Amino acid sequence: MNLEAVSVPEEALPAVLRTPPVLEGPVSPGSLDDQVLAPVERKPPAAWFIAITCTSILMLLGLALMGYTVATGIGVWGNNIPVAWAFDIINFVFWIGIGHAGTLISAILLLFRARWRNSISRFAEAMTIFAVIVAGIFPALHVGRPWLAFWLFPYPNQRAIWPNFRSPLMWDVFAVSTYFSVSLLFWYLGLMPDFASLRDRTKGRIRKFFYAVLAAGWRGSASHWRHFEKAYLIIAGIATGLVLSVHSVVSFDFAVALVPGWHMTIFPPYFVTGAIFAGFAMVVMAMVVVRETMNLKNLITMYHLDVMNKIILTCSCLMAYAYMMEGWTAWYSMNEYIHHTFWEYIAGTYGWAGWLTITCNTIIPQLFWVRRFRRSYPAMLVVAAAVTVGMWFERFVIIVSSLHQDFMPSAWQVYKPTLVDLGILLGSFGLFFTLVLLFARVLPVIATTEMKAVLPGGQPRHGGGSHE
Amino acid sequence: MSNRTFSVLGLFDSSKELMDAIPVVKAKVSGHLDAYTPYPIHGIEQALGLKRSPVGGMVFIMGLIGAISAMAFELWTQGVDYPVITAGKPLFSWEAFVPIMFEVTVLFACFTSGLGMLFLLNRLPFFRHPMLRSKSMPHVTRDKFALAVEAGPEGQVLDVERITAALREAGARTIEILDQPAALGPISPRFLLRTTVGIGVVCLVTGYLTYWSMKLFPVTIPMVHMLDQPRLDPQRQYSYFKDDFGMRMPVAGTVARGHMPYTIKTEDEASVLANPLPRTESVLKQGRQGFTTYCSACHGILGNGVSTLTDAYGAKPANLVADNVREYPDGRIYHVIVMGKNAMLSYAAELTEDERWAVVHHVRVLQRAMNARDTDIPKEIPR
Repeated sequence: MNLEAVSVPEEALPAVLRTPPVLEGPVSPGSLDDQVLAPVERKPPAAWFIAITCTSILMLLGLALMGYTVATGIGVWGNNIPVAWAFDIINFVFWIGIGHAGTLISAILLLFRARWRNSISRFAEAMTIFAVIVAGIFPALHVGRPWLAFWLFPYPNQRAIWPNFRSPLMWDVFAVSTYFSVSLLFWYLGLMPDFASLRDRTKGRIRKFFYAVLAAGWRGSASHWRHFEKAYLIIAGIATGLVLSVHSVVSFDFAVALVPGWHMTIFPPYFVTGAIFAGFAMVVMAMVVVRETMNLKNLITMYHLDVMNKIILTCSCLMAYAYMMEGWTAWYSMNEYIHHTFWEYIAGTYGWAGWLTITCNTIIPQLFWVRRFRRSYPAMLVVAAAVTVGMWFERFVIIVSSLHQDFMPSAWQVYKPTLVDLGILLGSFGLFFTLVLLFARVLPVIATTEMKAVLPGGQPRHGGGSHE
Repeated sequence: MSNRTFSVLGLFDSSKELMDAIPVVKAKVSGHLDAYTPYPIHGIEQALGLKRSPVGGMVFIMGLIGAISAMAFELWTQGVDYPVITAGKPLFSWEAFVPIMFEVTVLFACFTSGLGMLFLLNRLPFFRHPMLRSKSMPHVTRDKFALAVEAGPEGQVLDVERITAALREAGARTIEILDQPAALGPISPRFLLRTTVGIGVVCLVTGYLTYWSMKLFPVTIPMVHMLDQPRLDPQRQYSYFKDDFGMRMPVAGTVARGHMPYTIKTEDEASVLANPLPRTESVLKQGRQGFTTYCSACHGILGNGVSTLTDAYGAKPANLVADNVREYPDGRIYHVIVMGKNAMLSYAAELTEDERWAVVHHVRVLQRAMNARDTDIPKEIPR
């Protein structure tokens, strides 16, 4: 079937139906390199130094408190029976969720050929890697003796025992470690041609050596590109399944348990949506800062922020549906324990957290129905911050609120975090943003090679660059 | 050798110029054609006559291997090598092994795709390629497109003038001629040797360090803080109590489970005790076992007092199947087992209460067997 014959030329369409320009102003492959790759060679501005000082202080605070926890024992946290999972697992689920936006943008949107993804994919992928690094710390701390965490892996040992592969916690080990290694590989493969560009344009000897090693002798040969493109597409295809599986497996940690409020079949899609939701909010916040401070306004345009905000709005509606389904499941189950847990969510000790979650995640993002708000910095920063707070508290409600009153009233306890808990949470943000700031200085924040491939006129076999 | 030409390449300003030039150059010159571009150009592999990439097949095979090996490994560890039933699931509950099988499949497939592409198909890293030292390379990684006629792996001799003319005609802006390096190959033997030795040394050192750190790390402070737990071990001195003993005497009259004290003093008193055990097969079996182990050495395997120890021991053991013992009540036999009699010592420490009563049953069995009557013989058997 010849699709070309039936397609209407762009100019003949009414203005509303025309494809909006993704980039602003004239962009050529050379100017793209000068714009994106140049900051790597420049001395960072003062604002960068101030920012990284702040984040490093937070990071060091967090690391010191983690050290204190390891040296003293997890008794320094607020966790106790029945709330044995608290900030450690909340932070784990929160950060692993943040990571999901990156893979969604780089893998799923690549398969859907969403052409706007190229400007933001690199940054979002980097955020994935850093978020998973931060997330990985928490289960290690949670086990209490992190120096024995390698027991989680199935290796032949003198104790002649194997881990229990029927346990969702074991699935988690595999899902998260696979997710991290595949994301890292995918990120590196995308970076390789850009490393080659950097290798050929930087002047400093050390810097040149650094990029030359990372580029591994990439020379842009056509015979290499054919393997590269195929391999990249295959990984994207598989990573799509992977990204959906990872947060589903994280949700199994809860759904497979019998705790009322956890034991629900809606958990996997509910968690995946929430992860993408929180991840996009974080990407939007970061993109606003990058766009303003790194002189990339023509590459990361209001159009990009607009479509990302639309995804946030979509996820917000899906989250509202999931919250309502939780209530409906509680009612339809006719099970007094689930009834009780649901009432605890909205009217119990932590009812305030429940309502904070609902407000931040389902009410505030409704602002994005209005185009003006989707394209205004204050509005999108408010919504993104609200979603970040809301999604953190959603995990708080799911974990703490469900656990603190279980089947046996004699065991009920009110959970209170300690200052160490709060410090480690702050420290995790510090670590994440320190890594993001370092990344923004040493690696290209936009996938220049992918961008070049879809610039107007970039592909002669596509009718003079219909990609734009 | 060094004067041989490795490749002649022409630079083009746009991908369209490059694509138009390929058929022109291809028609004019023989040689290995390759293009160097800043980004992948769709349709260039057909224009250059390159084969389809085999990545897909490689990924499929390795993914399959990943899936099968993960499932097989899980079934073997959980069902065969370390069969522990958890949550009432069967040992070979394959459904629970699917998530990990999926993740391992993904891991195998993605790493085959990424690393297989880099190492096997593209033969990277490759730092000594002449192209990397050419003047054109910085243009290629930026915004120019190069078409190269190369000597190829066969080391074909290139007709430089002819190729240059063809490239010029096809619209190349700049022409660059690259000389064949002294040793062309992804990796030189010297580099290979040094790398192998280097990796070997690194493996040895890290292996040794890892071994010792794994050994010592878990037993250094603060990793051992949970080992040091304040508690009072049995038979320890403890000054908190006046008698300096850590262990406390139990409350007066405390009886340990299964150790009811035996208070009966004489055989007559014991006569009233009744055997609490039923004469079931398992009880009789237990009784025979106890008798064979402890009693038969002196009383003989038949209970008739005839045994190998008889002379050596000096005292004559009782004939348990004799008439006088047959008239003993069960309790009296039991009493002798507990307290001993004449030269016989107490067997209370060797036999539990139930075992003693089972032995009493066995003594009765022997007595009956050793004093069989004619009527015991079934009628069917001829006399």
